Formats: sequence, C-alpha cells, structure tokens
Amino acid sequence: MTAPSWLRAVAAVMRREVAGWRAHPRELLLLAVLPLASGGLFIALLERGTPSELPVAVVDFDRSALSRRITRALDASPSMRVSTVLGSTEEAANLVRRGSVYGIVTVPADFENDLRRGRAPTVVVDYNAQWMLPGSLIRRDARTAAATLGAGVEIAARTARGEPASVAMARIEPVQVDARAVFNPQLNYGHFLLPAVLPAMLQIFVLLQAVAAVGRELRRATAGEWLGVAGQRPWAALAGKMALPTAWFAGLALAMLILLHRVMHVPMRGSWPVLAGGTVLLVLACQAVGVMLVAWTANLRLATSFAAFYGGVAFAFAGVTFPLGGMTWGPRAWADLLPLRHYVSLAFEQAMRGAPVSASMPELCALSLFVAVPLALSMPRLATVLRDARCWGRL
Amino acid sequence: MKTWWRAVREEARAVFTDAGAALVLVAAVFVYAVVYPTPYVAGVLQRLPVAVIDLDHTAMSRQLTRMIDAHQFIELAPPVPDQAAAERAVREGRLAGYVVIPVDFERTILRGERTRVAALVDATYVLAYRQALAGLLEAAGTLSAGIELRRATAAGAAPAVAASLREPFHVVTRPLFNATESYATYIVPAVLVLILQQTQLVGVGLIAGTRRERERERTMAAAGLLTRPGPAAALLRVAGRTAFYVLLYGVYALLYFGVIFPFEGFAVRSPAADLAWFTLPYLLAATMLAQALGAFFTDRETAMFAIVWTSLPAVFLAGFAWPREAMPAWTVVLGQFLPSTAAIDGVLRLTQLGARLGDVSRQITVLWALAGAYGALAVLLEWWRAGRGRDQVRPAASA
Repeated sequence: MTAPSWLRAVAAVMRREVAGWRAHPRELLLLAVLPLASGGLFIALLERGTPSELPVAVVDFDRSALSRRITRALDASPSMRVSTVLGSTEEAANLVRRGSVYGIVTVPADFENDLRRGRAPTVVVDYNAQWMLPGSLIRRDARTAAATLGAGVEIAARTARGEPASVAMARIEPVQVDARAVFNPQLNYGHFLLPAVLPAMLQIFVLLQAVAAVGRELRRATAGEWLGVAGQRPWAALAGKMALPTAWFAGLALAMLILLHRVMHVPMRGSWPVLAGGTVLLVLACQAVGVMLVAWTANLRLATSFAAFYGGVAFAFAGVTFPLGGMTWGPRAWADLLPLRHYVSLAFEQAMRGAPVSASMPELCALSLFVAVPLALSMPRLATVLRDARCWGRL
Repeated sequence: MKTWWRAVREEARAVFTDAGAALVLVAAVFVYAVVYPTPYVAGVLQRLPVAVIDLDHTAMSRQLTRMIDAHQFIELAPPVPDQAAAERAVREGRLAGYVVIPVDFERTILRGERTRVAALVDATYVLAYRQALAGLLEAAGTLSAGIELRRATAAGAAPAVAASLREPFHVVTRPLFNATESYATYIVPAVLVLILQQTQLVGVGLIAGTRRERERERTMAAAGLLTRPGPAAALLRVAGRTAFYVLLYGVYALLYFGVIFPFEGFAVRSPAADLAWFTLPYLLAATMLAQALGAFFTDRETAMFAIVWTSLPAVFLAGFAWPREAMPAWTVVLGQFLPSTAAIDGVLRLTQLGARLGDVSRQITVLWALAGAYGALAVLLEWWRAGRGRDQVRPAASA
C-alpha cells in the first residue's frame, strides 16, 4: 500500500477524531458544554456593569433638617441607598462587620448649628476598603453628594452676605477641572472585565482540550495507531487531530467578540481584523502550548497539572485585576510568558482605546511566537514520544 | 472501626506515595500560595504618568503643575508638544491622562472669575482612572482653596471666617480595615481560602478516579474483598477519608492563617479559636463535596478537567471581587452551593474586619448545612458505588 498523501492523511485522522467523539461523547464537555456554560455565567454576572444601590448606614447625631438633607442626597446617589439611619457608631460598625452595609456616613452633633456659626463641622465617610469596588464607589459618590450640598450652602451664605448669586457661583472653586473619561466613560466594569474574563476562560478550555486530545492517545496507548492513520506523519496526525477543535474554538472566540461588541455594545473603536486575528492567534497559541506540555512530560496527568497551573492563574497575571505596570519584575516576566496577557493588552488597545494598528504589532508578534516556538520545540519530541511504547498507558 | 482506620490509611498512602495526588494535595497547596500573591506584591498602584500641557506659562499655571506633580497618585510625565501627541500617547497606553491649562489661566483667576482646566483621563482601568482623577481634582482643589482664602482675606474677612466661608463643612473619607487600600489585601486572602477547596476537589477526585480504575482492573475476588458493601461500611469509609482530609487541611489552614497571612502582611484580627471554629465546617463541607463529586470520576484525569476551570467562576461567585448587590439573584443562589462562597465571606470578616463568630453565624450555618448535605450525598454514592462494583463483577465470574 502506498502512503496516503498528506491531505488524505489529515482527513483520515479527522474522521478518526469524529468517531472518537461518537464513542466518548464526554470529550465534548471541554469542547462545547463547559465553555458555553461558563461564558454564559460570566455574562450574567457582569452584565449589569456598574454596582448600584449599595447599602450604607447614616449615623445621625444631629437630627436636623440639614442632616436629613444629607441623608436624602446620599440616597439619591446612583451607587448607594441609605438602608438605615442610626444613632450609634457601635451599631453601624457591627453592620459593616456583618456585611449589611458597605459604609457609614456620620453627621456630628450640632452639625447645623456649627455650620450656621461658621465653625465648619466635619462629616465623616467610613467605607469598607476590604470590599474595594463597592468601597471606592461609596467614597466617590458620598464625597460628590456632600460637595454638592456644601456648594449649595456656600452660595446661600454668600448671597445672604449680599453677593449676587452669579458672582458667588464664580467665586467657589476658581480652578475647575473639566475631566473627560475616555475609552470607558460610563466606568462600566462589565465593559472592562468581560473582554478579559471570557478569553481567560476560553484559553483554559483550549489548553485543557489540546492536552486531553493529545495526551489521551498516550494514556490509552493508541498513539501508535493514531500515527499509523496519519501514515506515520506527525504533522498530519496533529493537524488532523486539532483541525476541528481549532475551527470550533476560533468560531466560538469570534462569536464572543460579536456578542460583546455588537450585541452587548461593549465599545469597539479599533481594527476588527487585528482584534479577530489576535483572538484566533490566542486559540492557536494555547493549543501549541498544550501540545508542548504533553510532548515534554509524555504524561497526560502531569501535562494537565502544568496546564492547570499555567492557564488557571493566568488571569491574575494578565494585567486586569492589577495593572502590569504595577508588578515587580518577576511576576511581570512570568506574565510575558502567558499568551493571555498579550491578548488582553491587544484587546484593550484595539477595542477600548482604538489604538492604531501599529501599536498592537508587538502583541500580534508575541502571540505568533507562542504558536511557532512551542510547536518547533515539541514536534520532534512528540514524534519520538508517540512512537515510544514506554510512554504509553502511563498514569 | 477497622474499615474506618483502613480508609484513613489508604487515603494517606495515596496522598503521600502517588506522585499525581501529592502534586495536587501537597505541592500545589504550597506553590499556589507562594505564586498567587506575587502580581500584587506592590500592593497599591504606582504613580500614574500624567502630562501637563501648559498654554499659559505663568506663575499660577506653574504652581498648578507643581501641585499635580507633588500628588502621591501622579507622576508628571515629560512635556508633550501638543494635544494631538498627548492623545496619541494615551491611546497607546503610555500616558494615564493629560491636563490642558488654558491661555489666560492666571488672568482669569485674578479677575475673580472661574477658569476651567481640561483633563482627559484613560478610564480603561477603572481603578487607575479613579486614582488619576482623584489626584487631579485634589491638586486643583488645593490651588482653589489657596486662591479663595487669599481673596476672602483681601476682602477683609478674618482668616478663620474666610476658611469657613470657603468650605461650610468638611468631608473626611476614611478607608476601614484595608487602610492602605492594597490590592493584595483585597484579593489574595480570599483566593488563599479558595485554594483550600479547589486543591481538594481536584486531588480527592484524582484519588477516587484512580481507585475506580484499579477496581475495574482487579479480579472479582479481590474486588469483593476490598470494598465491603452496605451503608455502614460506606459511612465508615467516608468518615475515615474525611477525618484524614480535615486533619491534613487543618494543618494547611494553620499554615495559611498562621504563616502566610502574616508573611504577606494580611491582618488576622479575630481570635484564633474563632477562626478555627469557622474553618472546621468549611473544611468538612469542602472535603464532603470533593468526595461526592469524586464518585462521578471514573478515571484518574477526569477530576482535573472537571474542576480546574471552576476556580475563576468561584472567585466571581464569592462576592468579594464583584459585589453581591450587582449579581443576578440566581447566581447568588448558585454561589451558595460552593463552600468557598460562605467561607471566603466569613474568613474576610473574621480576619480583616475583626468580626467575631456571632457576626458570621449565617455563614457558619450555610457551611454546616453544606457539610451535612454533601456528606449524606457522599455516603449514598459510596454505598451505591460499592454495590454496583460487585454487580459488575458477578457476571464476569459466571462467564
């Protein structure tokens, strides 16, 4: 029998893969069910984008018309609602410890009196900084609410002293900052987190699926047969095995981009080809790393452990929860060894900031290297391992 | 009692002699605890690069530039030629933002009018945006305050009166608990608690899957002898494994709270006894869940594929990175089925907020309920599996 042509070998392996899925439908879990389910979960979790109506407590020692105005102003802030008005600091602190409220606004005794006499009393905003996100929202909005109220009182005082209202207006805060938030003006956490979290989940599944697909051939001692179907051509064997998962994951990734940027209206200001190309490269890069892990460990379980570590903690190093610029050199270097961190930079540059294509070239190059280098490093080794019966059936 | 003790010994032998299990149940517990905190070592964001485009070139505009530069959140970037260049730098991520001080800045202020300084700040990273903006607003506020005070005193008001006119009341904002607003303290303690669950789910599942594989390979006689059927034996086996894992993870918890927390600079504000009484139901619930899930794993590697991806969703479901109030109700309920959700909430309250056991009674109730439910499930599955194992063996014997 003559050796089948390369393409025919690939097609034969693809048919073998499909037959394998028919026999073990559980393998479709990693490919389809879990990625879709976890993606759906994250979209549901982050869809609201910005937390609102966070409960805060007001400790009102003054019980005056003005302190009630403060309470109302806080309640009207978009991020919070005043869930209780208390008379004791102890009680409020207990509520924070138990988690019923995220912050305490304390209005001191004689607040209104002191204010009228020009003694400038102090309103204290205590916020739970352990729950950082609600805490920072409360800090900002409580300050804004108080400042707005304070400005109203100041203008009233100045007009009472005979200044015309327009002059009084101009006199407060002579230097105004007109700040424009660019790229994410609504400060929407969903717009910021989803384009990073969904690829973070995707790369875990792509990595695990690649490890499982190649590693199981060793584990089940079918590696020799697999290579046989491909006419002893390792590249054809790998191409046939990964072709359908690659097409599926790339399709899934592109569907994710369309869902995010077209359906959910997460901003997309840059180049679609660059973003889409980067996303496909992320899929290929994770597959290449997965193949490398199996080739060099020659052990499914060990390769899976390494993949779990490599893909599982990647999100913490991707520059999302903590910016890359803030990391020390060690973690920063590790981050550079993760395809996800390059992809996240590219996605933020293109989608959020609308950076020129040239700005994303380093990331595109890095992602391409993650495809080429692991494959180059592992294909000869993979060919040896697949043929070596001592590597088969190991736990 | 013999069954119980044999289960303890078998599990211990598996953990310490099987390289695969040891990698997850021993090595990973240490490696993750060391590696995970590293991105956050710096804790707080470094100073953010902001450029100032000064079109006024006066004493007052230079004063504002100095005030921006002096702010702890901001580092003044080298001057940029024009607004287009600055905008490009922001777009490419080289600047966090820029400020334009308009022409006639000083003259407008001296005329007693209000002047506007335009600022453009990158909000891609919301937390970085807040930090840069807070820096700019506070710098401008300081300058404003000085100008107003001078104006008022010039107009003849006593300094104290002038000050109170400017700001009828003060607002002081104070961070509670995480006083330095460190990212590390925000994220890492919670993730350490999660590691205690995830390594068990994978490791116990790996051992259960391996046991199942060996049983399939064994002869009928050996299988019949090794796994005693019946609910009592199943209960004893689950109890034995549970005792072993609670002991092992009790040591890990001690290590985490006693060594790694202080080493990373995380407070432990609750008495050790409170933390211990809280950790016990967590470890029980986690190991019971691990054993119940383990019953479904039919070979050695399934557990890894089934569990590894759940860590990131578990982090978001736990309600510390993303607040419960912003989550749809069904995801809040879903999260309660993971022991990590109640455990993370409780441990943060005990260690970081200095709560006492009474403050976390809801979380303790949830954890005991989960331990009970998953424990019952684990025993039932163990009983069912032992019975099924024999059924599968019998026809082979008659053949």
